[in-house]
Amino acid sequence: MNKNWSLSQEAFDALLDWLDSDRELAGIKYEQIRSRLIKIFTGRGCIDPEELADETINRVTSKLTDIQQEFTGDRARYFFGVANKVHLEYLRRKTPQPQSAPADSARIELEYHCLERCIARLSEEDRALLLKDYGAKGRTQSERRKVLADELGISLNALRIRVYRIRTALKECIEKCIQDSL
Amino acid sequence: MRSYLLGTLDRDQKTQFEERLIIDPSAYEDLLLGEEDLIDEYVAGELSALERDQFESHFLITAERQKNLRFGKLLQNYVNSHIEESPVPVPAFSFLQQPARRWVSVGLLATILGAAGIIIIRGFVNRREAASVVQQSSSRVMTVTLAPGSAGTHGSTAQRVNLPPHGVEVKLELQLANPTFRNYKSELFRENTSLKISDALRIEAKGEQRVVPFTVTGEMLSPGDYQVKLSGVLDSGADEFIDNYSFRVIE
Repeated sequence: MNKNWSLSQEAFDALLDWLDSDRELAGIKYEQIRSRLIKIFTGRGCIDPEELADETINRVTSKLTDIQQEFTGDRARYFFGVANKVHLEYLRRKTPQPQSAPADSARIELEYHCLERCIARLSEEDRALLLKDYGAKGRTQSERRKVLADELGISLNALRIRVYRIRTALKECIEKCIQDSL
Repeated sequence: MRSYLLGTLDRDQKTQFEERLIIDPSAYEDLLLGEEDLIDEYVAGELSALERDQFESHFLITAERQKNLRFGKLLQNYVNSHIEESPVPVPAFSFLQQPARRWVSVGLLATILGAAGIIIIRGFVNRREAASVVQQSSSRVMTVTLAPGSAGTHGSTAQRVNLPPHGVEVKLELQLANPTFRNYKSELFRENTSLKISDALRIEAKGEQRVVPFTVTGEMLSPGDYQVKLSGVLDSGADEFIDNYSFRVIE
């Protein structure tokens, strides 16, 4: 890929068209592919997975005219092949990994304050579920979850997904609370 | 999944998993759930020593996951400080309730209810004491498990501990990531003043987790912020600092 190549709106639109003729679905597919590429680069121990995912997408986009003529099949697979090449190049140029600085105590204090505020905004049901899921002493997480899933009459996986959604909402709320406080 | 997250799959297995990940929505969802589970187990000290190493050296490679770990620790701190507030049966009530149901006549029941009434009133008066019983074992010992690396003197993020009643001992269980020493030394501080030092402490197993027990008397604690400094004792007798633990005593 030409190093000076950058993703223009026109090129990005062409990528979306290639992913799906429905623009909304194409946007969803784009996000899915990007987030999965990030997880793949993370799993390979890359410290900047977002950058590598974007590099992969840019590379596919820059060759789109050729790819459209040659490639048939699941488009996500094509990204995976390009990601492998991007990863090899990353390994060759890999620089020492900087240690991330621990969060300072004022920041932790703020995060905790925001957590309290966000938990208070949860529904009573979600708050109780969260406390039960993490709370019972003397049991491991998997033991706790089995008991709780039985109590609620839902499958273990359904419980995990429910807790995951509550946590995700909490994280988003905390992020916003922190931004508002800074 | 777990092996993938901890970086222990061989190359072929890893490639197979990644190929599934890019096209299969359920694989991606499993990965997200697996990440959260692993973080929770790490925070709760439920990972083996080997898994902890793999978690720290491989899993925590990205800023996003480090942020998620911080969130997991915050959440655990919050939950630890709130589950103590849940209602707890006082042993005296259960002792009275069962015989009453089975054996007593109406007259005797009235007598017992009268006695129970007194106990209930006493229970309200000593509500704080009842709440603290959550952490007790059969004797008058209150057990508090502390995770390392809390926020130092900034107590609002430290674990909350109910003020122990008189005569109760507080067993602080200091969670340990790498149990590499034979003996440990702990020192309890309040506002940089040393309150108690114990050495020759030995590791205890608590499930898959390892803790160093450090017992102090309830009288030693009053509402406020405390820190515990944990050191390993070398064969030479010298100390090697390991970690700090923080907690806040509340009324």
